[in-house]
Amino acid sequence: MAEPWNVVDTGLLGAAENMAWDRALLEAREAGEIGNTLRFLRFKPCALVGCHQSLEQELDLDYCAAQGIQVQRRITGGGAICFDPGQLGWELFLSRNALGTPDMGEIARRVCEAAAAGIRRLGVDARFRPRNDIEVGGRKISGTGGSFEGRALMYQGTLLLDFEVEQMLRVLRIPAEKLRDKAIASARERVASLKELLGEAPPVEEAKAALTGAFGQAFGVAFASAALPETVVGRYREALKEIDCPEWVNLVQKPVSDAPLLEGVAKFPGGLLRLAAAYDRRTRHLKQVWFAGDFFASPARLVNDLEARLKNITLAEAEVAIRQFLSGYPADALSLSADEVIGVLRRTVGEADGLL
Amino acid sequence: MANVNGCELPDDLYYNVEDNVWARRETDGTLVVGMTSYACSLSGQIVAFTPKKAGKVVERGRSLSTVESGKWVGPVKAPVGGEIVAVNEVLFDDPGIINADPYGEGWLIRLKPGDWEGESGNLVSGGDIVPAFEAKMNEDGFGGC
Repeated sequence: MAEPWNVVDTGLLGAAENMAWDRALLEAREAGEIGNTLRFLRFKPCALVGCHQSLEQELDLDYCAAQGIQVQRRITGGGAICFDPGQLGWELFLSRNALGTPDMGEIARRVCEAAAAGIRRLGVDARFRPRNDIEVGGRKISGTGGSFEGRALMYQGTLLLDFEVEQMLRVLRIPAEKLRDKAIASARERVASLKELLGEAPPVEEAKAALTGAFGQAFGVAFASAALPETVVGRYREALKEIDCPEWVNLVQKPVSDAPLLEGVAKFPGGLLRLAAAYDRRTRHLKQVWFAGDFFASPARLVNDLEARLKNITLAEAEVAIRQFLSGYPADALSLSADEVIGVLRRTVGEADGLL
Repeated sequence: MANVNGCELPDDLYYNVEDNVWARRETDGTLVVGMTSYACSLSGQIVAFTPKKAGKVVERGRSLSTVESGKWVGPVKAPVGGEIVAVNEVLFDDPGIINADPYGEGWLIRLKPGDWEGESGNLVSGGDIVPAFEAKMNEDGFGGC
């Protein structure tokens, strides 16, 4: 059997401390100071943006400041999320050849499938959904992402033991007024916690054991628990100095005006369609789209599933995605046509581009 | 133009094979740096690019920039130490250019090397490019671009 992998738990920490451990452990793995390592972590209330996002475009910073919610930047990519002690973070620090493939997509898939198997041990039917989510019945229960450094990599995810959707949406910038309720309802239907699914959240130790067991089985390794070497603690202190600092937190700054929340509305024979879109004017990408109105759609999750398809894509890609989605979806009924949905989206985005 | 496992590797460039970066020496002594087609193939479509700022001095092997693809983030490392004199700002709005034209419009950073003569010895060029990348791809178990 291969050498055992280490498992550590850094406990409940602030955002900067957790980000500093990410960097320190990744550097230490690259330097060969530690072997392959599984880390568990939890967060004090905080909001984290992806490595290349700007705080001001993604977060309601006034609300965060008023509520004492820490804001930080991850060393991994993806979107903004918020944490509190109700989520369990898991992270693997591995040599890049540990899983026997150099393909980053394949590495992500293998780790996510193992994590999904771990979550299934807790009593829910968790499955990996490409590219990066683990879901139960179409609802996200663990978001994931990775970072690499030389010959080492870190792949991380978050397991929602308990989760407050409303709190997350207060922290993030989302559409106002008429679509706000829709955005909240939509997020609630797209996200699930173990507490919601099982009636109560499993104890943290049980969730850790389930994930550890599943990673061990998937990768054919045993886990042992050993203290981190002093050199790694030194790296952590150095990393914390750099990360707990405005230069890092504000590394990417983009004006809010480049990321407007657009709204569009149109009346059709099949009903009123209202939409909101978070749009990046610089890259001309739709970050997210929400639909509401009094049109008829069955099953009800059709609209949520369509919204899930329309993330981080250009308008042209969205048009293709809407057509493909609606022609392939097992819909019982929808009182709007693809042309009508596309028409409203095109007009809404077109008006925003005209303001450039 | 050299080609290894379907990955183009222009033979007039210098490469750090381990870090998968290329460098082109300009007549004014500055160095244009980018990702190899092999690096682009491993990472997939690049969706974000955040370089260190112009004026920053970066040591050899330290990160000049981070790039994001899917949800992976990784550094692009300096092939030699030097001062960043320019970044390719076109990539901010369209980082996919890195994949589309990694040796042309998709360049990342222009560096003023601190000690080109002293540090360029670890870069491969000319006839050494193909065997070096063949060995690297074999070691990685890479199937091809």
